[in-house]
Amino acid sequence: MRDVTITELERLGGGIADAEATFQMDEEAFRRFYERTARPVWAYLARMTGDPRLADDLLQEAYYRFLRARPALDDEAHRRNYLFRIATNLVHDIRRRPHVDDNALPERGECETSEAHGGDVAADTVRRIDLARAMARLKPRERDLLWLAYAQGSSHGEIAQTLGLKASSIKMLLFRARRRLAAILRDTER
Amino acid sequence: MIECLREADVFEAIAFGRWPADADAELRGHVAHCPVCRDLVTVAAALQSDRQALVGAAQPPTAGVVWWRAAVRTRAEATRTAMQPITMWHRVVAACVAVVAAVLSRDLWQWGRAADVLASFGGQRAALVLVGLVAALVLAPLALYFTLADD
Repeated sequence: MRDVTITELERLGGGIADAEATFQMDEEAFRRFYERTARPVWAYLARMTGDPRLADDLLQEAYYRFLRARPALDDEAHRRNYLFRIATNLVHDIRRRPHVDDNALPERGECETSEAHGGDVAADTVRRIDLARAMARLKPRERDLLWLAYAQGSSHGEIAQTLGLKASSIKMLLFRARRRLAAILRDTER
Repeated sequence: MIECLREADVFEAIAFGRWPADADAELRGHVAHCPVCRDLVTVAAALQSDRQALVGAAQPPTAGVVWWRAAVRTRAEATRTAMQPITMWHRVVAACVAVVAAVLSRDLWQWGRAADVLASFGGQRAALVLVGLVAALVLAPLALYFTLADD
């Protein structure tokens, strides 16, 4: 393997500093933003793709695109919506690939965490698997809508911004998606 | 009916963990008779619980690692972008060399003219000129490549 000279290391360090200058926020601001958003974004990616490992990769990609983007993001809510929009687009890109398994089933590792919350582990696991299967039967946009509205707690305006839809259409779309998921979940319970 | 005025109250109770035990009896009574709110409870409670479990299970890399990877990748992309004009220049030169080589080859293959030209040089000299032309055709692109190549 070729030795790396000090000069080359200095050049690399300088290059990284230059690269950081192109980001939309400094490292400290990014760290604070990341601490608040990384877990919810990962949860969204994991549920929408059904693959925690893929969610890890997409998380890195989402933040990379977020840092490189230069939109006018004046507050935390806008930044958060923009990040979710990037995540949504990444999930849509993945869905277009033919080989992806669209059954959003929770993995063993995810289920084990239920114990930490002190609930009934077995029942909770079954409920989550039922939900994952029910979600897999919905259209991708319905999944996005329901997650953003009821897991993430986003407003209709925020959902419209994230999914690139008209705010006026969210209410009806959400109503239909919710009715459909509720019916599937009730069928599963019987 | 696609909405109910109590939806916000019901969702708030679920999101803040008050549903069903700590919710108002009146709100629970309403949900029991409202199909819209019943659907909302079924869906929102399931999604909130799933989100909590997923967020608890999430093990994202640290902010520092994500930042560093993004910086390294940005730099790599900047380097690739900076190299693009050189690559383009290589392609232009290669195209020019190919055109010149094609024109020369065509002329050489027109033996009628070439033979006349070579005959005017005499036997050995004609062979030298031919070798020189072929060498130039082979070596010129190589020379250009080594001149323009970065490393």
